[in-house]
Amino acid sequence: MRTGARTLVGRRMLAFFVLLFLLALGCLLAISVGTTWMPAKTVIAALVHFDGSRDHILIIAIRLPRVLTAIIAGSALAVSGAIMQAVTNNPLASPGLLGINAGAAFAVVTMMTLTGSGNGSSYIWFAFGGAGAAAVVVYALGSMGGIVHHSLGLILAGAVVTAFLTSLTGAVLIFDQSTLDAVRLWTAGSVSGRTFAEILDVAPYATVALAASLFIGRHLTALSLGQDASRAIGQNTALWRGVSLVIVMLLAGGAVALAGPIGFVGLIVPHIVRFMIGVDYRWVLPFCAIAGAFVVVMADMMGRTLFASQNFPVGVTIALVGAPFFLWLARTRVRAET
Amino acid sequence: MIRVISAFTLLLTLLIAASLTFGDISISWHAVFAVLSGSIDASQQDVMIVLELRLPRVLLGILVGTALATAGTITIAVLRNPLAEPGVLGINGGAAAAAMAVIVLMQDPPVFLLQVAGFCGATIMAVTVFLFAWRGGTSSLRIILIGVGLGALASAVTTFLSAFGEIGDVQRAMIWLSGSVYDANMLKVRLLSIWLVLPIMLTFLLSSELDLIRFGDNAARSLGQPVDKMRGLLIFICVMICGAAVAVSGLIGFVGLIGPHIATRLVGQAHYRIIPVAALVGACLVTSADLAGRVIIAPAQLPAGIVTGLIGAPFLAYLIWGRRHERG
Repeated sequence: MRTGARTLVGRRMLAFFVLLFLLALGCLLAISVGTTWMPAKTVIAALVHFDGSRDHILIIAIRLPRVLTAIIAGSALAVSGAIMQAVTNNPLASPGLLGINAGAAFAVVTMMTLTGSGNGSSYIWFAFGGAGAAAVVVYALGSMGGIVHHSLGLILAGAVVTAFLTSLTGAVLIFDQSTLDAVRLWTAGSVSGRTFAEILDVAPYATVALAASLFIGRHLTALSLGQDASRAIGQNTALWRGVSLVIVMLLAGGAVALAGPIGFVGLIVPHIVRFMIGVDYRWVLPFCAIAGAFVVVMADMMGRTLFASQNFPVGVTIALVGAPFFLWLARTRVRAET
Repeated sequence: MIRVISAFTLLLTLLIAASLTFGDISISWHAVFAVLSGSIDASQQDVMIVLELRLPRVLLGILVGTALATAGTITIAVLRNPLAEPGVLGINGGAAAAAMAVIVLMQDPPVFLLQVAGFCGATIMAVTVFLFAWRGGTSSLRIILIGVGLGALASAVTTFLSAFGEIGDVQRAMIWLSGSVYDANMLKVRLLSIWLVLPIMLTFLLSSELDLIRFGDNAARSLGQPVDKMRGLLIFICVMICGAAVAVSGLIGFVGLIGPHIATRLVGQAHYRIIPVAALVGACLVTSADLAGRVIIAPAQLPAGIVTGLIGAPFLAYLIWGRRHERG
């Protein structure tokens, strides 16, 4: 038994480091690939000894931010998706259920319509603020619906707030063609054209929340067993739900502000990870962080090269590449309820 | 139960009357009554406006709302998930992708083609989800996950088209996608009501099966329900109902989700109570949304699908707030 457990841990550690290595390799590749090919040597040289040459500037100013954005958005969304599915005990839950996407979209669209401009990076703060405000409202409403006792309250509250904000956003967009034009790429999710300053705006929140999420794995596993079981083993469910949702708000809010609502990652990557390594959230969360980042980095690279467009929305590529794999997993791994 | 039903029936009657009266040209209650009773006093213009423009629109709204809420009740019970609106079966995703493709890729597509595309997209998608999830039997979780996966593919197609399509086309598609009962006529109303009668009655007759299947596969099976067959049948009914509604009205969102939840909060868990109340709530929701959508910012019109969220969401929030002391 003991050695069995030890080899399982060993195997998972090995898998984790392999995945991490793949992510590093993927990032290197993603920085190399582009309109001009940069050999790995140049990329590493630019990272280590920046010499101000044209190639190095290209790498540091254009390609690195893009890959960093993909990493942050991917891991933040995947981890927050996993947390949401554990907290609500519902396979359909995603960060969007907390009102994050709807709130961010509403704030961005309102800002663009009122000021008539979509330029500058001010919209990052609007998106972040909108996401946060929506999440707070969802949580408050959900607590009234009995969030402390049942995840149904949270689910309904999320659905209500999302419905309301999405409707408002839709109402604005139908009458404002120029905003629709400016916002449609954002809603599809895109990691292009982000600057270091923008990344630095969001990165601290995401990093802190990501680090915090690594410590709540135990409690999430308990929460994911359902209300009765988690309370029976002595968990303060209200406390850990609250903590989890704050983490989700920071992670997903930051990711959505930076890269737009990339729907697929938060919903499906957690499922893929659970299919692979089981339901122990102490492992699911770190694997989600790496796998989410990997998926977004690779999908963005493929979108750039295969469709030869710098603006190809990464959300589309992710779905095209990831969905078939996910379908295969869902078909083969989910057994009938017994 | 009786109180709730009579309250909503009264509300619906008022909404119908209001919908026939208000509009770009206001018609008095007397005139509307005269037109409806076929009296000879009614002016030609009033008859035209009420019978040919407003009445079909109201009736279509009622039908669509009833259909969506009933379909939503089925999916929530069959998939055992409070978030499972009919869209989870791929109905919305399929219809959206098909309609977006028709609008963006074709020059001035006729409305009729759009509706056929919507229905075909919805049905094909739902059948694909079900077949893909079939593996010597079905499982709610597998249907949900496959639905999510295929839905992601479909919405990738929609997003791709909307990100690179011509902006005017995209905006037109957005109006269709947000759902409306603009171009209603009596023929449509008749066709839809004939199409819907059988499946909706069947749903009501099967309400005890819905009660059973919600308990879980094992419980239902041990109580003598052929779970796989019943799930297939119910999903089939749901697709028939919802596919038709989506075809005539586009994607009127949230009714399928909010209607059943409002009904559950009002009359409890038994499906023979939920189905009629949800249907009434759905009808009220779409009718009031259409009325509000064309009156509030007249002469411009908001599609009903956008307003349903604005009306339905606060109402459900109010119900949640009102029952905050109950422990569920």
